Amino acid sequence: MSDVNETALFSFLREQIAQRTRSAPETISEDMTLSDIGLQSIDAVLVCGEVEDRFNVEIDPAEIFEHDSLREFAQSVLSRMAG
Amino acid sequence: MALYHLGLSTSGHDPALALVDAQGRLVFAEATERFLQDKRAWGIAPDHVNHLLSALQQVGFDLASDTLTVATTWKKAKAELPVQITGDLLPASDALWLRELQAGLHARAGASLLRLGLARDMPEVRRYDHHLCHAITACGFAPAQSAACLIIDGEGEAGAVSFYNLRDRRLTRQWRSWGPGSLGTLYAWLTQLCGFDWRLGEEWKVMGLAAYGTVQPQIRDLLLSLLTAENGRLRFADRDRLLEIAGKISVFARSGDAPLMDAADLAASGQAAYAALADRILDTCNEGSEGNLILGGGCALNSSYNGTIVGHTKFERLFVPPAPADDGNAVGAALLSWMQTTGIDKVPVLPAVPYLGSAASASSVAKIGNMHGLAQVSDISGTSETRVAQLLAQGKIIGVMRGRAEFGPRALGNRSILADPRAPDMKDRINRLVKGREPYRPFAPVLCVEDVGDWFENAQPSPYMSITLRWRRDRALLVPAVVHQDGTGRLQTVDTETTPWMHGLVRAFEQETGVPVILNTSFNIMGSPMVHKVEDALAAFATTGLDALVIEDMLIEKYKA
Repeated sequence: MSDVNETALFSFLREQIAQRTRSAPETISEDMTLSDIGLQSIDAVLVCGEVEDRFNVEIDPAEIFEHDSLREFAQSVLSRMAG
Repeated sequence: MALYHLGLSTSGHDPALALVDAQGRLVFAEATERFLQDKRAWGIAPDHVNHLLSALQQVGFDLASDTLTVATTWKKAKAELPVQITGDLLPASDALWLRELQAGLHARAGASLLRLGLARDMPEVRRYDHHLCHAITACGFAPAQSAACLIIDGEGEAGAVSFYNLRDRRLTRQWRSWGPGSLGTLYAWLTQLCGFDWRLGEEWKVMGLAAYGTVQPQIRDLLLSLLTAENGRLRFADRDRLLEIAGKISVFARSGDAPLMDAADLAASGQAAYAALADRILDTCNEGSEGNLILGGGCALNSSYNGTIVGHTKFERLFVPPAPADDGNAVGAALLSWMQTTGIDKVPVLPAVPYLGSAASASSVAKIGNMHGLAQVSDISGTSETRVAQLLAQGKIIGVMRGRAEFGPRALGNRSILADPRAPDMKDRINRLVKGREPYRPFAPVLCVEDVGDWFENAQPSPYMSITLRWRRDRALLVPAVVHQDGTGRLQTVDTETTPWMHGLVRAFEQETGVPVILNTSFNIMGSPMVHKVEDALAAFATTGLDALVIEDMLIEKYKA
């Protein structure tokens, strides 16, 4: 998955989150925090599982809620993929 | 000066320690409960200082010059993980209790090095993912180059299932389930519903009782609706739905004082639901495995299900380590530390030997002669197999303490009570005179590995007593004391290389009786861990109906009343 870029990852995240919060994908922006979006913690955990599966990357469960915005979360996933 | 790797199982329940030397050899592994004689040793530090010191002394560790690297079986304290895995079936207080115990052990792991003069400050600790430790332990004991490795338990760091590929001995995780969804938790809840207690490790009782029941499709299907296994990832139903279904199932629960058999159908239905869910996970994992499945995690102790895997799924060979649950993880952590230090990325193949614990103290063995006057003591060196076989053939119940203790929950001949399986009343006699356990629970048979096909259907090796198979009907009649209600037996297979004494004993018993099968149950009294010290064995001998005791090459027999 070396060709994955921030846009592809973000669009996947947006789709997953929209599905779980029953909202329109275009209402979810990169600057939002998980709580802005209204994503429950169990759904955030499940999204992490989806990201692991889809992008073949290891996510640290302890860090899910440590990011200030969706963008930061996506960047952290990308840096793990690069590492 | 040598470096050893100390693996510490820090789950909070079933603590254990393991030592791997600089060459990658697993030189010691033992659960804390044995040393302390305290079942499951809840909340006790796996590096309990006296236990650790005893282990170090037994492997020849030099406190003045050798060094220890400490590794734990969790990467994070559960309290740091925002992932709820066990769902809402068990009381929240149980989950909180476990979390607190784990937090304490996780934080303090390695503190005993300060007491032993092996560190001046809290040592730096290597921390490894919980399921990865399970997987390394399981693969270590599996002599396969390539395999599917599946870990299923109560909870890991993200979920309760992880799937790995082993290829040319390199292990790579393929996926893991995230969030609430756990077969281990489901089985623990089932244990409670049957009127037992998972905190006492009574899942065994459910499995044993299942043989007496009939699967009720209604109960099984309700249980199945609690949990989905999409692409192998387990997921509990949403909370409200889960509680609604759980309420419907609870109608079938047995209260602790009701007759045991009231729960038999529930147990059978629960075991069937477990099997159906486990099948769904296994279905997703076969590709590229060369027919080999390595199973680890607490659920790998479900020997009834394990016995169905070969012949029923696409897998042709099953490997389960001697300690697949959290005690065994100490081995994985120690091996991972060794691999990290050496840079070796292939999982070493460990010798197929589960005898990794403490040996009887030589000074205590030397004092056995002092028993003269209390019991008849003889040195049976060189003739022990024949002598013991003769006594067994006479119907004697014999406690055996030879060599190093087994690592894992099974007695495999070194801390065992042995008896003649031909006598129909032997099961009741052992229960009444020695073990004091419930009459419905089965005793296990030991056979030479080359004989298994003659006695069991779907024959396969079972060196660590990990699988339950169906007896051939005509043969079952010959050994009624080791045939369970449903015509099965949880067998141990022995061979000349790894278990020469037991192999010789089975052959000697065959010479005496024509039957190459011996009854083997763990050398403990109900509710206690297996005997650890010579004095534990002597106390059990003195206070139960054991007829004789073998400690190393000494035979101790009661005088006839």
